[in-house]
Amino acid sequence: MGKKVVVIGGGITGMEASVQLSALGYSVTVLEKESQLGGHLNDWTVLFPNLRKGNEIVSFLEHGLELQEVNVIYNSKISGIKKINKHYEIVLDNQKQIIADAILVATGFDLFDAHRKEEFGYGIYENVITSYDLEKIFAEKGEIKTPSGINPKRIGFIHCVGSRDEKVNNHYCSNVCCVTGVKQAMELKTLIPDAEIFNFYMDMRMFDTHFEELYLESQKKYGINFIRGRLSEANETIDKRIILKVEDTLTSRPLKMTVDLLVLLVGMEPSKGTKEIAKLLNLKMRESGFLKPEDDHTLSNVSNMPGVFFAGTCSGPMSIKYTFTDARAAVTKINCYLKEYELQHRILLN
Amino acid sequence: MGKLYDLLLQDIRFEEGLNACMNCGVCTAICPAAEFYKYDPREIVDTIQTKDEEKTEALLKSETIWYCGQCMSCKTRCPRGNTPALVIMALRTLSQKLGYFTDSEKGRQQFAIKRTVGENILKYGYCVPTYAVDPKMHPEQGPIWEHIFNNIDDVMDRLGGNLKKKGSGALREIHQKNLDELDKIFEVTGGYKLYGEIENYSEKKAGEMGLEFKKEGIDNEYFRHVYTCNSDNHGK
Repeated sequence: MGKKVVVIGGGITGMEASVQLSALGYSVTVLEKESQLGGHLNDWTVLFPNLRKGNEIVSFLEHGLELQEVNVIYNSKISGIKKINKHYEIVLDNQKQIIADAILVATGFDLFDAHRKEEFGYGIYENVITSYDLEKIFAEKGEIKTPSGINPKRIGFIHCVGSRDEKVNNHYCSNVCCVTGVKQAMELKTLIPDAEIFNFYMDMRMFDTHFEELYLESQKKYGINFIRGRLSEANETIDKRIILKVEDTLTSRPLKMTVDLLVLLVGMEPSKGTKEIAKLLNLKMRESGFLKPEDDHTLSNVSNMPGVFFAGTCSGPMSIKYTFTDARAAVTKINCYLKEYELQHRILLN
Repeated sequence: MGKLYDLLLQDIRFEEGLNACMNCGVCTAICPAAEFYKYDPREIVDTIQTKDEEKTEALLKSETIWYCGQCMSCKTRCPRGNTPALVIMALRTLSQKLGYFTDSEKGRQQFAIKRTVGENILKYGYCVPTYAVDPKMHPEQGPIWEHIFNNIDDVMDRLGGNLKKKGSGALREIHQKNLDELDKIFEVTGGYKLYGEIENYSEKKAGEMGLEFKKEGIDNEYFRHVYTCNSDNHGK
């Protein structure tokens, strides 16, 4: 025993995988670029599909770190990684060197920068915000006001911002935005019962447990309106409200609507850190920039470099539930590799 | 796959314009024509995507394909990289080649456009030069235009134009060498052939409608009919 695993990234994946690895007896070091663990989860107030608070999950993960010994290096920046025989030598900015028998890349995602969809007016019109900004507003717990300071009476949500869009070179679906739109619409309706809320979508991808039920509830119980059409552009009125131009494709009619607040449901992109580590380790990436496993069915956590594994959203958009599952799956795979089980050497026959 | 779809595939604009549509409606949402006409570019693309022969033929004979203003706004928005306006261009050309354009009021106007703008470009090197926009034909231009039209030399002098003269400046004479080049372009690219088809099918239609048709000019019943006829049934 005593083999060393280095986990790069201390979000959900990194936190869960590190304690599971520690429980298996490995010596684990987590390299976290920020001064705290938890990653994006720290910014998410309430979670779908059951409206649980985000910090409950953070506490759960932290409890793991109390139970298991894990060495966390905060504010760390990796300047180089060398492969020496069967192990890796990771060099940090402060010249510190760490030896790893296996590496788990858990570098996660970045939110799509909504400025890039200029026609939606983010950063141009003050009452256009992102789903991330709305979570911050929810966290403040006060009365909901638009950035202009009024109580919004009509609110629009735009789905697929930065996802499924050739124009920003993101062809993939970000998985979580549809249900986030439903969740946030319901929360807003609870806080502002007389508000009208419209979600503009292309397809409602309610694929996971309780998603479809949540969608139904949002319509039946909360009266959220769903209009099938993609926003062409947003404009601003003289009183800073936002004019939307879409086609209601189910009735084949162009539609113009003015809202007090527009929320852009931003998708996921491979994080800057993911791209940097991929470069340092020569990891294969998909066209989207997410990490590419050796096989999509059977080796989903296995990279092209021996001893380097990955899990979580650095390999593609996924929800918290799947991030946990993926983190634990990677641990199994790493254990298999370090113990040199014969299982490790299975191959696919064509 | 239908025969008409095969013909469309031969048009490079069609190949460029249609990848795969997911019916998000962003093209219709941004489309200025869709705001006023009974027009939905998304529906056109979706119809074509079905490759249904009958529906495609109906489109080629419809008013719908003539509403597009070719502003190309749809190109700037489509998340799938389609360009409905290019699909429309291909449909229009096919409608002209097959003579289906004479089945619709907006389509029949191709004849009027060919005899005016279409001939101006070859005659003058300009599509819409001031002197070719006769106030009698364009009452919508109002009395100021009529004044300009009747005093074109004075107005051009004052504005620093160079009307029909050699050298540089607005509305200068286009050199014969350039006109010859235009002539060549129309010859090589099939522009003349298309003009010929518009003429032939229009003459045939004039016969069917019992209207006088002349081989040249705009002084004939059929021209006046297509130029002025308005069923007023195009708007939303």
